Amino acid sequence: MNIFQPGDGMELPLGNKSGLPNSVLIAEDDPIFRRILESWLQKWNFQVTAVENGLDAWKALQQENAPRLAILDWMMPGLDGIELCRKIRNQAQGAYKYLLLLTARGSKEDVVAGLEAGADDYLTKPFDANELRARVRAGKRILELQGELVKAHNELQFEAAHDHLTGLWNRGAIMDLLHRENQRSARIGEPLGVIMADLDHFKQINDSYGHQTGDAVLREVAQRLLESVRNYDYVGRYGGEEFLTVLTACTASNLAITAERMRVYVSEKPVETGTGPIPVTISIGLAAQHAVGPDLAREEELVRSADTALYAAKASGGNRVEHSPENLSTDPVHSAALR
Amino acid sequence: MNPMVFGGVQCSRSTSSDLQPASCANSSGQAIWEKAEALKRLGGDEDLLRELCQIFLEESPKHLQKLREAIADADAQATMRAAHNLKGELGYLGAAGATQAAQELEDMGHQQTLSRAAEVFTFLERELASLHIALRNSDGASL
Repeated sequence: MNIFQPGDGMELPLGNKSGLPNSVLIAEDDPIFRRILESWLQKWNFQVTAVENGLDAWKALQQENAPRLAILDWMMPGLDGIELCRKIRNQAQGAYKYLLLLTARGSKEDVVAGLEAGADDYLTKPFDANELRARVRAGKRILELQGELVKAHNELQFEAAHDHLTGLWNRGAIMDLLHRENQRSARIGEPLGVIMADLDHFKQINDSYGHQTGDAVLREVAQRLLESVRNYDYVGRYGGEEFLTVLTACTASNLAITAERMRVYVSEKPVETGTGPIPVTISIGLAAQHAVGPDLAREEELVRSADTALYAAKASGGNRVEHSPENLSTDPVHSAALR
Repeated sequence: MNPMVFGGVQCSRSTSSDLQPASCANSSGQAIWEKAEALKRLGGDEDLLRELCQIFLEESPKHLQKLREAIADADAQATMRAAHNLKGELGYLGAAGATQAAQELEDMGHQQTLSRAAEVFTFLERELASLHIALRNSDGASL
């Protein structure tokens, strides 16, 4: 990480931590200052993009993988540093940009105006290498902290929405997704369906082989469920051994076909565990949204219907697919034909 | 010779006979440019300094021309900008007398009082001429 070379006081250990590209944008109309900045920053192992005016700086910052550290001259033709700061800050999306404003004026009002326009820091000309290095280093530190924060936030967001054991959506998340997709499908007039699947005789597996084996079975079944649906369907762990799948743009008959495919795929071969192969089957209840407008079934009703059908499947001995009663009245595919 | 005072820096009108070789003083005893100071600011990077001097030799006549036009047009805003740009570069090279004059012109532009601008400009022009000679002489030899 340390690229310090003895005998050269200009070197700076600015490593490429946390995946941040080591790049910097310089916007400076004066060729002397542009060259000085470019020369020093390159010496410190930065990838430098140098432009001569504010408009070119704006364009460079809009590109994909644009530098996140920008050194902007206050006085530039066209778009000056202050206007550029404001324009960048008014842009809501995108990664945070650290803006270092260069000024030949040192008055307090100017500094305040610059910071209020959105600059993170400022540097007064003529600056020396040590000062620039210290300011750039501070900027990198902020960007690195921000990167870590975003990463932690994303990880937390994933954890908050996913089931730890299986990696599927957790109950809260799958219900949120169902709510959202139910509304969206109704709005664009597409059919939506839900599939509730439950592992048959899971308690016996736990009792006979222990909870660790039980967990391994759950993980494998979750995987098989995921593999038997389209990659844009949502599979969640609804409860202990109960899985809820939300399928968008899926007609009632396709819903039945998918459910049957899930049932067959899960039971086709036994699950390999540390305690040997264990044959598993699932029971499935499904419900299709068959109304629009004011009659739109709420997501709780859909889940309740699928649950009722699931109980019917269990009552008939398990390892089978059942429709909710509402589906039977509107769907030409018969539940008896699904077995 | 009547000394003229520009913002506290005392200098005398330079004539062509005042132009002296590299890193010598102007007639007021002030160095045309502080090479050591400039080099120090650049962290001792002589290659970079040579390159910057080259850029300055090419660029400063353009700035000076802009400044001349701005003053002739009595355009305070343009005077301020052109003087500002020159000041930055001159300051970097440690050309104290010229920097001071550019600073005065910038201030005049800022305050929109250009009555003495032509006078200061003449001084700046001469300082720059000396600086050009000093930089050229310095280039390659001692650098």
